[in-house]
Amino acid sequence: MSVVEVSNVSLAMPRTKRRQGSGRKHRLLRIAGETSRSMIPILDNVSFTINSGDSVAIVSGKPLLRTSLTRLVAGTLNPDSGSVVRSERVVAMIGIARAMGASFTLRQNAYLVGGLMGMTQEELTEKIPGIIKFADLGNYLDRYLRVAPSNARQRLAWSLAMAIDARVYAIDGTLVVGELEFRKKCWTAIDALREEGATFLISSHGGKHYRRFCDRGLYLDQGALIADTTVSKALALARKSRQESGGE
Amino acid sequence: MLVLRDLQKKYTKFRLGYFWSLLEPLGMSLVLWLVFSVLLGERALGLSPYLLFLSVAILPWWWFTKCVNASTKIFRGSRGGLTFSTLPPQIWVMKTVISSAIEFLFSLPVIVLAIALTRDLPGIYILLFPVAFILQFLLLYGIGLLVSSLSVMIPDLARVVKIVLRAMFYLSPILYSISNIPEQMQTVAAINPLVGILGLYRIGWWPEEQTSTTALVISLSVAATLFTAGILTFRGLKTRLFKEAK
Repeated sequence: MSVVEVSNVSLAMPRTKRRQGSGRKHRLLRIAGETSRSMIPILDNVSFTINSGDSVAIVSGKPLLRTSLTRLVAGTLNPDSGSVVRSERVVAMIGIARAMGASFTLRQNAYLVGGLMGMTQEELTEKIPGIIKFADLGNYLDRYLRVAPSNARQRLAWSLAMAIDARVYAIDGTLVVGELEFRKKCWTAIDALREEGATFLISSHGGKHYRRFCDRGLYLDQGALIADTTVSKALALARKSRQESGGE
Repeated sequence: MLVLRDLQKKYTKFRLGYFWSLLEPLGMSLVLWLVFSVLLGERALGLSPYLLFLSVAILPWWWFTKCVNASTKIFRGSRGGLTFSTLPPQIWVMKTVISSAIEFLFSLPVIVLAIALTRDLPGIYILLFPVAFILQFLLLYGIGLLVSSLSVMIPDLARVVKIVLRAMFYLSPILYSISNIPEQMQTVAAINPLVGILGLYRIGWWPEEQTSTTALVISLSVAATLFTAGILTFRGLKTRLFKEAK
């Protein structure tokens, strides 16, 4: 059964770097160029289907491509053309930690971010003890985030996402965070979810996580979907292209 | 929830907390009153009692500037939840407008204080005060949508907005009354949407303040245009907003 269906999707994103340089010409270009800042094509006519229970890895050398594709699947970005059809709720784990405020307590942050993720207030009140317990931050619940350990943001973000009743997760960035103990906890949580038949779409830079988790790999290059195979094959393809471009 | 956090952020940092939202406009009113009424003497600028006249307009003005300035920053930087939240992005603008509106309501005791000092009770038209509040709320929501989405595209807009706001302070009947403007210029001045709204705030005390209905109609229709423009622009730029979110 397909959970997410991506068909003929094309997408262009604004260039992240502004034009550099000084002098009148550059200044004028900057003023005129900001509104029409050049767009780089990211995806070109990409189609694939994610089935229920899949663990899919996005393998690509471009971080922007990985993130954009994850966001497309999660529904926090709209394609320029083509369509993304979701038959279930997708939890987006993209930049959650950054949305937290350092001058709020952990509890306040949990309400704030949890609310943004679509949980209701009552739901959160009920779940926060469990969330904090999972994140192992019990001592800091009512203290400011800025005095909590530096990885508290990530840990809280993870625990919040895990607490949502969903079966499809789109994860971007560091897959597993924190010190060894918490990492193990994350592994177990993901494994348990996978056994229950949850679906994952993972975009990360390290190959290690991919091999550990995913059974399917999507290798993308130059905006096109080149291969839809197993993870190790996709990673091998990526390594090969890296070596080729590096050798020239 | 978002609104609550915003207010908490503002108030927990400073020791006087809530009192700052009283002291800031109060101080401003007192300074302006001192300059324009006491130092410059009776120059027939505005209506008396001048302290009350000033504070009734300066509080909404304060709300207006704070909100518009904050709108330029809503979608800039990486603070937002646009990357993972599927909620409509308008809520961020709504949040800004609501929290600044609450701050405005918090600062209303300044007017009460001014009434107590001047012993000038408003007439029946004070009932239009809430109407003005609602109108300003809608106007700010429209401007917020417009400014927040445009300033993502044009980063320089934030600076421009600052200058425009400064100009509007003097172009709006805050320090003076609309009746200080020559008759034939009143219609031109009414293009400013704040003219109508500020007039409605003041009408309770000074029924003569709102002299011409045409001015009111012009001013409010400009406000309505801005509101529609905001909604349309935001709708047009929504996809782009998501793309710019980091």
